[in-house]
Parts: sequence; C-alpha cells; structure tokens
Amino acid sequence: MNRKWSKVLAVALALTLLVAFVPGCASEQETGEPTPAEKPATSVKAAMVTDVGGLGDKSFNDLSYEGLKRAQSELGVEIKVLESKEITDYESNIDQLASAGYSPIFAVGFLMTDTVSKVSTMYPDVNFAGVDEFFAEPPANVVGLNFKEQEGSYLAGVVAGLATKDKTISDKINDDNVIGFVGGMDVPLIKKFEAGFVAGAKSVNPDVQVISLYAGNFTDQAKGKELGYSLIEKKADVIYAAAGAVGLGTIEACKDKGALFIGVDADQYNTVPGSGDVMLTSMMKRVDIAVFETVKAAVNGSFPGGQIQYFGLKEGGVDLAPFHDFESKVPQTIKDAVEKARQDIISGAVTVPETL
Amino acid sequence: MSETHEALPEQRRWMGVVQQIGAPVISVIIAIGIGSVIMWVSGYDAGAAFAALFKGSFGSPKAFGDTLLRATPLIFTGLAVAYGFSAGLFNIGAEGQLFMGGLAAAYLGVQLAAQPWYAAVPVLLLGAMAAGAAWAFVPAVLKARIGAHEVITTMMFTYIGKYLVSWLVVGPLKAPGQIPQTVTIGTSAQLPRIQTLFSEATLEALPFLRFGRAHMGIVVAILFAVIMWAILKYTTLGYEARAVGFNPTAAETGGISVSSTIIKALCISGALAGLSGAVEVMGVHYKIFDQFSSGFGFTGIAVALVAKKNPLGVIPAALLFGALSAGSGLMQLEADVPQKIISIIQAVVIFLIAAESVIQWFIKRRQKEALSHAG
Repeated sequence: MNRKWSKVLAVALALTLLVAFVPGCASEQETGEPTPAEKPATSVKAAMVTDVGGLGDKSFNDLSYEGLKRAQSELGVEIKVLESKEITDYESNIDQLASAGYSPIFAVGFLMTDTVSKVSTMYPDVNFAGVDEFFAEPPANVVGLNFKEQEGSYLAGVVAGLATKDKTISDKINDDNVIGFVGGMDVPLIKKFEAGFVAGAKSVNPDVQVISLYAGNFTDQAKGKELGYSLIEKKADVIYAAAGAVGLGTIEACKDKGALFIGVDADQYNTVPGSGDVMLTSMMKRVDIAVFETVKAAVNGSFPGGQIQYFGLKEGGVDLAPFHDFESKVPQTIKDAVEKARQDIISGAVTVPETL
Repeated sequence: MSETHEALPEQRRWMGVVQQIGAPVISVIIAIGIGSVIMWVSGYDAGAAFAALFKGSFGSPKAFGDTLLRATPLIFTGLAVAYGFSAGLFNIGAEGQLFMGGLAAAYLGVQLAAQPWYAAVPVLLLGAMAAGAAWAFVPAVLKARIGAHEVITTMMFTYIGKYLVSWLVVGPLKAPGQIPQTVTIGTSAQLPRIQTLFSEATLEALPFLRFGRAHMGIVVAILFAVIMWAILKYTTLGYEARAVGFNPTAAETGGISVSSTIIKALCISGALAGLSGAVEVMGVHYKIFDQFSSGFGFTGIAVALVAKKNPLGVIPAALLFGALSAGSGLMQLEADVPQKIISIIQAVVIFLIAAESVIQWFIKRRQKEALSHAG
C-alpha cells in the first residue's frame, strides 16, 4: 500500500518538475534586460509595479514595460519591474521600490489609485506616476497619466462608419447600416471609448446604428464571443471592442460568423495570432510613450508632479494602427476621412465627447 | 494489522507527533532544495533569492507585519475549510461566502460610521458571519435534504456571490468617482493597524512593535482559531460534527441527526469564511470592490490541508502562505527572480506539504476501511 502511494507521489513530483521547468526556461529569455550601450550616465532609477495581470498581458503592463525599456536604452536609466500577484502586493511593492531609491515609480492600473495616494505621502522625495489613474488632487510628487481614448475611438468610428457601407473592403460587409461596440465594464473609462466611437461613426454616416453591449468584466472570453454573436445576429458587420481579454472572444465570433473587428490598446494584428483576416485596424493606447516621456522629464529634472496629464492624438498618446491585410482594400476615401478627422481633432476644430 | 497498532501505543504516539510537526518541516526543506534547483537551472541566484524571501517575510518587524497581514484572511478561510473537513464536508465555496461577508462588512461599516468602535466592530463581524452562514445555508440544506453535493453547490454560490458584488459596486453601491468601489467605511468600524495602538514613545522604546500594515484582524483570527479548536474538542457541537465526519451511519445510529449536523457545520464554515472577507474590508481596504479577494477562499483549502484540519495548525499554515507571499516583492527586487518563478517555488512548497497530508489521509482511510472490514 505504501509503495503504491510512493509511486503516485514520484510520478506527481516528476510532472510538477516538468511543468516547473518549461516556463522557467522560457521566461529566462524574456527577462534578459538589454544592456544600455554607452549611454550618458544618469542617476535616475525608474521602476514600475504591474497590476495583477502581470507581464505578458499584451496590454498596459507590457506597454508600460516597453516604455521603461526604451528609457533604459535611450536615456541610460536603471530600470526595475515588480509584478503583483495579489491586491495586497500593490502597497508593499510600491513601498519597497520607494525605500530602495527608485524614482519615478509607475503604478499601472486604476486599482492602485488609492495606494499611490497613500504611499506618496510617506515618501515626499520620491516621484510617482499612475497609469490610467485619475487623482482628484494629485500631490506634488504624483502625476496621473491618462489618455484621450475618445479621440482614438473617434478615428475607429470613422473607419467603421464608412466601412459598413463599402462592400469592396470585404465580403463580410452586409447591406445593413449597423456597427457594434463591446465594452468591458460599464464605467466612465470605457464610456469614453464608446462615446468617441459613436461620434466618429455618426460624423461620416449620420444614419448608422451603433449597438453597444457590455460584458460586465474584462476577462470572460466566452462572454465576449457570445456578445459578438448577438451583435452579428443584429446585422453588425464591424465590431469595436474595448474590453480587455473579453475582446479576444469577440474576435473568435467575428471569425466564425463573418464580421470585421477593430482592436484596442495594442495593435492587435500583431498581438493576437491568426486574427489578420478580420482585424481591420486597432485603436492603440500608447502607454509606452506616456511612460517614456515621463521618465525623460524626470531625467531632465522637470517631472510633472501634481498634474493630471492627458495623452491624446496630439501628444501621440492614442492612434490608429495600420490596416495591415486590408491596406490595399480600404479605399483612399476612408484613409482621407481618417486623416481629416485626425487633423480636425489636433487643430481643435472637432472636440470629441467623453460621454454619450 | 490491528495487533501491531495495539502492541506499540507509545511508539505510535511518538510517531504521531513526528508526523504532525516533522513532516511539514521536512517538506519545506525539500521544497527549498527543489526551488534552488529550479532557480539554478533558470540562471538565478538561489541563495540570494531565499535570503530575500526570508528578509521580506521575517527580516524586520515591518516585514513580519506584512506576513501577518497576508496570513489574516487565510487563517479564517483555513478554519472554514478545516471545520467543514471535520464534518466530512468539502466547502470549496469559501470564496463566495468570503465575498458576502466582505459585502456585509462594507455595507454595515458605512451605515454604522457614527457609532463608537465597540458598537460598530462587533456588529460588522457578526453581520459578516451571518452573511457567510446565509450563503452556505442553501447548499447545506440541499446537501442534508436531497444529497446535492456541496462541492458543486457551494462553488455555484461562489459565482453568484462574486457577480452580485461585481454588479453592486458598479451599480447601486458605487461610490462617486471613476473607480467601481463602495464608499469608505467609518473610521470607528475599521480594524486599526497594530502599531497605531502604541504611542510614538513606546514605539521608540520598543521598535519591534512597528508591525507596518498588520492590523487587529490577526488577533481576532488567532482568537477564533482557539475558539474553533475548543469547540471541536470539548463541545457537543464539535463532537457531533466529528462523529458525522468520521462515520455518518454510526453517528445516525448513535442518535445524532446527520442532516442537522451537516447544516450546522456548513453554516459555521460559511460564517468563518465570511469573517475572512470582513477583516479584509475592515483592516485593509476599508471598502469592497470587484477583485478585493485574491482567491483567499481557495488558498484556504491548501491552508486547511497543510494544517491537517487542526484549527490550531491553521495558524502556522497560514503564516507559511503569508510569508511566501510577503517575501515575493523583495525576491523580485533584490534577486531579480521574476514573479512566475516565485509562483512555481510557492507551488512546490504547497504541493509537497499538501501531497503529504493528502496521502496520509488516504492511507488512514484505507486502514480504517480495512479495520472496519476486519471488525
């Protein structure tokens, strides 16, 4: 009896080790930090704390890290990233970085807003930056890095509003003048995406019907697929999702039932393998640029503490990704309309609403 | 078989003590060894990593405070699952009961903001216990009356509870502002951080009292561990639970109502899990939001297994899990070990300890079966 159990234990252990080693070896290459080559020395040590999504989320955390890595190679700053596994880690990770002399420290995600407010008072000499964090009154050593998602979404709306009437782009375009939006949670941040998308679509196609559905979270891919199916059933042929991982399910629905998709945050043509035949474009949120610019300001001694910054089209904080596989099929008229909308927003001729 | 057991009672007792305390210690040592090999193969400095792990969890009063902070909710969920195990029930849905307990505390903490702490704190804790127990009640009745397995029903109730909270914090209970969360509870309803209870002069004289983020919830948790131990060992309630867990048929024959014992045991388990949510709301976040628990209800299962169902054993088991979690920040900062590798090492530690107790449990059950067949 004992021998039997020790066999079970041995097999289980062997399996654990196997599982343990595979990711262990893989992540070794990932985390190898590029050595800064002969850059002007600076004493700035920049660091970031991920939210529980961690590195590898192909979204905010990875993009923030991209910004830090660029600062490392271009500005010669020392960098460090601490990944959070649970909510309890936020405060201790930020605290440990602050006491280890890192500044600025980037906290990624709105769930860390309160923590940043609290820890920043304990370390008045350390600078903090909150990605996607809206502080009511940021202290002098804190900057909130926010994005004008409505502006990028407006451009996505222009593309969708014109594409739904143009069958030359794809055989997935139907006769109905209907497009769709999938939101993660029904919160002000996501409403900005929806409001911009609707405004952009109506600006070029006043009669277009935009159907919006919300998943209630940012993680449930099955729900995203389900919402995608219902939108397509209601004749939507271009769908924009601002819903984190939920959108990955919506991409599946588009591939299944034949509709075009507009990605979000990153250029999802690159980050979602096999999505090329439905990925019309993506609304990119350039967190990396915001992070890099903030580190650069800190190096130059002009850290924008006490401010809430908004990165829009003008600042390069949001933008539309290339059309990739649809580049040759999207007519020049659509490309011109996008360019015109971009110039109008940058010049201030058009102000995109944040709410519906 | 029974002869050998009866022949050497002294030796058996001694073996029992060694198994209780020695086996987990040996498991930790083996886990450190395997963890070192993993880090060595992946190109990290294992010595520096374990030094950082220790420094980050026990290296200073503040670090130890962080360990206590993380152990607090796990003591409650560990007790919840362990009490269920004692009655032969697998309460896999502690997470859902935790959410309901947290919700009750977050709601009552706002309503009772004007009350003094000695009125507010007990009401919040009792309210959380009631909410947790209520969330376990339906699965308990379904189990007792029609035999619906508690693993399925408590799990389903976890989803209902989590989505209910998720909806409430973006809807009816949402605080004004950008973030989906409830309004902050009153100061009197909060569990204070331990170091705030002492004057600056005392802290100056006794710097080891600077426990950082650790709050009074740890004291409540240890108190409940002792209470649960006493209930299981000395009361009729505990005796009936253990009897049903040991052999329901014999318990029924002996005059114990199995169905009412099941209902009572699962509701007590739910009440303990509810307290876990309450201490997180009252001592850490002061509000409730979507992701306020990092799966403490599920980690509680591992805590209960490591503790071998013993309420007093839950305390060191939860401290072990708390320490592994508290040390991970410094492991990344000082030894450059990525979080993923740290998670693997934590999993190896848990696996070795839990596997050992699972195996012992199976062996004991086999022996018990063999004995009852022989008898």
